[in-house]
Amino acid sequence: MVFIIPLYDDIIGLLGISVILSSLYMQGQSYVDPIIRAIAIQSLFIAILIAILFLQNGDINLLYLAIITAAMRVIVFPKIMLYQVRHFKHSLREKGSNQKTPSLMLIGIIVVIIGYTIFKTVLFPLIPDTQQASIPFILLLLGFLLIITRRDTLAQISGYIQEENAILYIGAIITPGIQLLTEFAVVLDIFGVVILGVILSKQRNVFRTLDREVIEQLKG
Amino acid sequence: MDSTFLFSILLIAPGAGAIISLIPKKKIEIISSLISAALTVGISLILLILGVSGSTSNGYFYSDGLTRIMIITISSIFLTSVIYSTFYTKKIKEPFLKFRWYYCLLDLFVFTMLLAIVVNDLGFIWLAVEATTVTSALLIALEKERTSIEAAWRYTLIVSAGLVISLFSVILVFYSQGTLDFTKLIEQPVKNTLIMSMAIGFALIGYGTKAGIAPMHAWLPDAHSEAPAPISAMFSAILLPTSLYAFIRTFTLLKDAPQFAEMQSLVIGFGLFTALIAAIIIGNQRNYKRMLAYSSMENMGIILVGFALGGIGTLGAIIQIISHAFAKSSAFYTSGNIVIAYNTKKISDTQGIIDKLKSTGYLFILSCFSVTGAPPFGVFLGEFLILSQAVQSKNFIVAIILSIVYMYTFIGLNRQTVQMVFGQKIDEGYMSYNSSVSSNSELPIKDDRTINEVETKEKNKKENWVSILVPLVNLVISLIIGIYMFPIVLQSVTTGLK
Repeated sequence: MVFIIPLYDDIIGLLGISVILSSLYMQGQSYVDPIIRAIAIQSLFIAILIAILFLQNGDINLLYLAIITAAMRVIVFPKIMLYQVRHFKHSLREKGSNQKTPSLMLIGIIVVIIGYTIFKTVLFPLIPDTQQASIPFILLLLGFLLIITRRDTLAQISGYIQEENAILYIGAIITPGIQLLTEFAVVLDIFGVVILGVILSKQRNVFRTLDREVIEQLKG
Repeated sequence: MDSTFLFSILLIAPGAGAIISLIPKKKIEIISSLISAALTVGISLILLILGVSGSTSNGYFYSDGLTRIMIITISSIFLTSVIYSTFYTKKIKEPFLKFRWYYCLLDLFVFTMLLAIVVNDLGFIWLAVEATTVTSALLIALEKERTSIEAAWRYTLIVSAGLVISLFSVILVFYSQGTLDFTKLIEQPVKNTLIMSMAIGFALIGYGTKAGIAPMHAWLPDAHSEAPAPISAMFSAILLPTSLYAFIRTFTLLKDAPQFAEMQSLVIGFGLFTALIAAIIIGNQRNYKRMLAYSSMENMGIILVGFALGGIGTLGAIIQIISHAFAKSSAFYTSGNIVIAYNTKKISDTQGIIDKLKSTGYLFILSCFSVTGAPPFGVFLGEFLILSQAVQSKNFIVAIILSIVYMYTFIGLNRQTVQMVFGQKIDEGYMSYNSSVSSNSELPIKDDRTINEVETKEKNKKENWVSILVPLVNLVISLIIGIYMFPIVLQSVTTGLK
């Protein structure tokens, strides 16, 4: 079953831009819960994108993939993280993050420009039929940026899910046939990391007030 | 007998052990883990003796010489770690997990490592390597210290983020070759070699993060130093080589392509950089478990160089994987004895171990000699073969750097170890007590005897036959590998490995 979708390229392009914008929005947030909601929205954009690819190609695996993505990344994982925020008094805001978020947003934009340039000059000549792969490549870099610049467990998990979103995105675009396997693997993987994060974050809240001597033990 | 059955039992044993561990019955977790570990060792030995090679009839599993060596190494360290855990876990007063969960995760951890080794699909290898992170992260936090919880989170995040990159590598392999089935991949000629080179680059970064390859090694010293001793031993001895194995599987796919030489140089570069960084840092450590962690990093760097050089370098790398596993686990088990006795990981606070824990002291120093490549231990043989290959293939710069690394690590690590074992530290509490005893002439001799009795009882509490025998057995195996493997190595060299 194949549908001819009007303005197919424009819709795919628009969704790609929305994914990048959601990622930049996450960079600019100092509170944890908007970051979690943004990752849910970003995953929704990717699920819609995969559903459109299914309509265009007729590959039923893409439909399953879109459903799994919507169920797990849009509903289950954000629910678990938001539950952690509300019921376990997870601190909503990282200390000092409100001062650094504007500059992080700016760094995010610079990363987008650098990422696009690297993709165009280094990677695109090797994989010529996948121009759209620049978006997941940039998304991957922005995911790393979020992980590196935040200390909060849930914000870091959101960065990690963003990285996995990037892999899902690129997998759906360039390798039809592998996506279902990778998505099952990745879903299990994210599930594990989210659960670990939830278990450890409660204890890490204690760690935030630690004295310098304790941090010194993890140096060198 | 179809080897599928053997591989299935190999995986079912730790899986079943994990499930049975959760039954709420006293000591069932220890018994089930011990039985499953013994069973995996038995199956591994059968696979080793039978010399099972190629993929199984159903195509799910793949085995070659490296696979068999990895399986026996993982199984053996699993068994010794379970046995040592029965001693070590008794000393943990307030664990992060119930011990039932500890043994369950330990079994699952081994299950995922074995799966990564035997499965015949690059996608599942990636999945299994990633699953090792999920199963092992909570084990690091067992002692429920603030540093161990932070180390567990750092490990989870850094390694998972790194492995995302290796997933990208898997996607690129599928994109360029059209399959992830390992048997098909090695049988068919490699296509799109440029994309495959890129895939190998990403695999190096991704799996390299988990294997502790610099500069992606940030999690390694934290996790190794904060984990309980049996888990540190498993991380160093079998987890790091499992990740290297996943990389080697991807790397060898390119061996007939014109780009292989470039990738070989890249891999050698990363290996040497890792070994050099570790060698430089190792001598300045203040925490002896971190020092051992850097030694693992150095060994992984050297093993990576060995595989990349090929020829007898590969043989050296394989020998080093086995002997390092046994020697380093011995070192970590004895470090566990020291942690229990001294309640600190600082080198400066653990001087004169020989006076307090005689057997542990000797075992610790011998294990450290072994992991740093002292003859006649197996690591020496592995390092020697890798160096020989570098010289034979006229990679003189590689040979020079390797020599510097060997020397620097040997001196840096053993200088600190000798100080720990034979150095003298004035124990202020002990001295003041003794001086007060000696200055008070009215005290009867009986009191001195009482002090000795208390000290003996104290000592017995800190060392028992498990805490001595387990590291001793592993150390002896490392020695046997060094001595016994020599004729086999010579024979291999003369029969075609050149």
